[in-house]
Amino acid sequence: MKRSLFAFALLLLAASAPAASTTNNDDSCDIAWQPAATLLLPYFEVDFNSKQPAAQQTLFTIQNISTMPQIAHVTLWTDLAYPAWSFPVFLTGYDVQPFNLYDLFANGVIVGTSADTPTLTNPTPGSQPADNDANPNFLPDVRTACANVPGTLPASLINDLRQIFTSGKTSDGCQVGNAHANAIGYITIDVVATCTTAKPTSFGYAAIRLYDNVLTGDYEQLAQVSGRQYAQGSPLVHIRAIPEGGAAGAVVATSLPYTFYDRYNVAQASRTIDRRQPLPSVFAPRFIAGGPGGLNTTLKIWREGVTTSNAVCNDYKNNAVQIGEAVRFDEHENATVVSSCLVLCPGPPPTPATFSIPAAQTSILPGLSTSGDVGGWLYLNLDNGGSANYSTSRPGYGQRGRASQAWVITSMFAEPTYATETAAVALGNGCTPRAGLSTQQAQIGPAPNPTP
Amino acid sequence: MRIAILVLLIATAAFGGTFTTPPTTTNNDDSCDIALQPAATLLLSYFEVDFNSPRDTALQTIFTVQNVSSTPQIANVTLWTDWGYPAFNFSIFLTGYDVQPVNLYDVFAAGTLPVTSSNTTVPTNPTAGSQPVSNDANPNFLPGAAAACFGLPLSLSPPILNDLRLLFTTGLGAGCASQVGGLHANAIGYATIDVVATCAAKNARSSDYFTTLLLFDNVLTGDYQLIVPRGAKSYAQGGTLVHIRAIPEGGPAGTVAPTPLPYTFYDRYTRALPARTADRRQPLPSAFVPRYIESGANGFNTQFKIWRETKTPGACSGADAASQTKAMTIAEAVRFDEHENAAIITYPLGLVPLPPPPTTTAAMLAPSTSILFPPNPFKDAGGWMYLNLDNGGSASYSVSRPGFGAPGGAWRPSQNWAIVSMFAEPTYAVELPAIALGNGCSPRRPLTGTPGGNIGPAPNPNP
Repeated sequence: MKRSLFAFALLLLAASAPAASTTNNDDSCDIAWQPAATLLLPYFEVDFNSKQPAAQQTLFTIQNISTMPQIAHVTLWTDLAYPAWSFPVFLTGYDVQPFNLYDLFANGVIVGTSADTPTLTNPTPGSQPADNDANPNFLPDVRTACANVPGTLPASLINDLRQIFTSGKTSDGCQVGNAHANAIGYITIDVVATCTTAKPTSFGYAAIRLYDNVLTGDYEQLAQVSGRQYAQGSPLVHIRAIPEGGAAGAVVATSLPYTFYDRYNVAQASRTIDRRQPLPSVFAPRFIAGGPGGLNTTLKIWREGVTTSNAVCNDYKNNAVQIGEAVRFDEHENATVVSSCLVLCPGPPPTPATFSIPAAQTSILPGLSTSGDVGGWLYLNLDNGGSANYSTSRPGYGQRGRASQAWVITSMFAEPTYATETAAVALGNGCTPRAGLSTQQAQIGPAPNPTP
Repeated sequence: MRIAILVLLIATAAFGGTFTTPPTTTNNDDSCDIALQPAATLLLSYFEVDFNSPRDTALQTIFTVQNVSSTPQIANVTLWTDWGYPAFNFSIFLTGYDVQPVNLYDVFAAGTLPVTSSNTTVPTNPTAGSQPVSNDANPNFLPGAAAACFGLPLSLSPPILNDLRLLFTTGLGAGCASQVGGLHANAIGYATIDVVATCAAKNARSSDYFTTLLLFDNVLTGDYQLIVPRGAKSYAQGGTLVHIRAIPEGGPAGTVAPTPLPYTFYDRYTRALPARTADRRQPLPSAFVPRYIESGANGFNTQFKIWRETKTPGACSGADAASQTKAMTIAEAVRFDEHENAAIITYPLGLVPLPPPPTTTAAMLAPSTSILFPPNPFKDAGGWMYLNLDNGGSASYSVSRPGFGAPGGAWRPSQNWAIVSMFAEPTYAVELPAIALGNGCSPRRPLTGTPGGNIGPAPNPNP
């Protein structure tokens, strides 16, 4: 009997589901823990006014897991997505380089690297780094451009950075970030072809950006509460170039409908010239809101802005945009939504490009249910509604264009020092069309397999 | 000038030929990459529970399973010993949008199982799209699922609880003549959580698990926490469970759909089936690059939590016994410091016979200073390791197409997962998955002392 059932199932199989279309390493839109061409630190926070170890600090590490030397281009962005400062990191083959942002903001120093770093002789051929000029994709000026970078940082630069990342104002008074006591922002790390301080938003940046999936990295947040220290950390977001490889500026066909740097490619030869995987827009983080003495959750959220390479002073405030939808499920599957008003609803306030928010917060997130449950999960559709500055390379992404990109980290903490941090699970990859609203019959759930 | 360079580069690329190929999928469930997306199987790659201590001082592992679909689902939790023996399983009935935490301390210390039921009330929610469907609305449930998932056991009988404790601390238990797990004070093992069609006391070793029970819906998500209570110096570590998707997804239990996956997560349990890829679960990678810090007593130090596919299905005895693969070698480990110096495991010249290579079990915790890894002869306290965790393969392994054997060998690489745990006194603790150098469909890597053995990302194309 079982055999006949099994045979019947076999007969059914052919039409039941389409076959998977790739098993290759760098051929999908899925964000995986694999070497990448761009790393994203979605949120950093540094209390540079306090002394160590009491100060809240963010550390991150970049690892080159290839035999070839690589150059990592690090950019610090404000919470309104203004690229405040970029510096290069020269990585010899198999190099690893840690950074503590506290050193930058508090002491005005950052670890230096150089193309002059000696290359060693290692015990096996397969562990031997190549020479520092062996990367065929490096531009000719690397030896000189990457000698001792970033060098001594002028005091004026440090003062500017402190001001930009706390008051949100540049030295000429432009509001490019929000005001907060600690330095808050996010970081991108791109593999590039030479050492410069060019901003990823500049037109010429495409001429130095490379496509080798060779970088890995992680971050740690150190904090102190009531005199007790704790840490949280996770891998950086690993964004691969699809397809990988080739010289800087090469325009290669990609099946990605749009890319991570999409909105900065408006004037480029191709809107997908960076080839970086896009990030998803919908997440399902778990929460616990146990109140004082219990486990509590903070969400760290990165959201794609809307400004382009041409943004000027007043434009950056536009990078604070409302989220698409949030639904809170308790442990008994009761759902709550932000507002039940029917007309002229003000909607939740806009959120910046990176921020942290307690999961119990109720102006942006729905309130807890009346069941008494303090735990559950959140459905977060972080789509900002789209922008005229967004593109897609093919139809199927809706009249308002594609969904905006986002990333979510779930931080949990309980007294005295229980602390964990995990990336939230996304309900689809970055190539998935915009999710409908649950108020408009769109069912919450995993994204369907096919994308346009 | 820069524009001129760019134009030149673009022209070069356009006429430069075929150095890259376009990607072949942008779909959600179509690749071999392990991503943080809803899955059909979740893997808790290492757990540890001190069930002999009171709750407020006991080391505990907690995990949570989440159903992100509106349809009810059944999660089958299997607890495996650290030698890969499936010792115990229990079912969790999840209504649509349900979330269920499980503290393994409750299981091992008190014999308490999570309370779930097909009879759970489905609430009425404020928006149509947040409304769970009724508990019998999953078309892939077997006809008897409602009855089978009603009145699930809430606790273990004293004999079963005692047996469970023995299996996970001594490896010895009733019904098994030989040892199936390691000897340690705490319960140590790993857990798998599969989406299934009914509530049943079955696991991957059951003869009909893949033909009648296992489902293919990528709807589960989950995370875990390790709690270490030490009074004012308590700490926790945690991360997401390994999300293993069914590729392609969907269909009733027993459906054999073609998959381009060359082999699958449950490969070694499908030997008796017509389709060795019957479970359709993504395989896991074999090579990882975890970072380490070894700062001594007052600084950060690192431990690796490593899950390794066993060579056999983990029977009590015989050729498939768990004891047959309790000691698996590691293909290769290379240590890099922060100045790119590399170290490998070496032995003094003239040492005859050479000592046997270090081995590991299926689920283990090892400091980065363990003899499993090259010693640190450098001044740097930090760096990273290249871990090729391939166990050399097994006759129990299959592949659906050529290209996965080592030169002169016959088998694909084994599957693995690695987690990096860092800790510094008093209470700094972080935990993160190690980055893999390729996905689970990547062929075996040559050793670094052999041609083509350069450490680095796996090439894009797979066989």
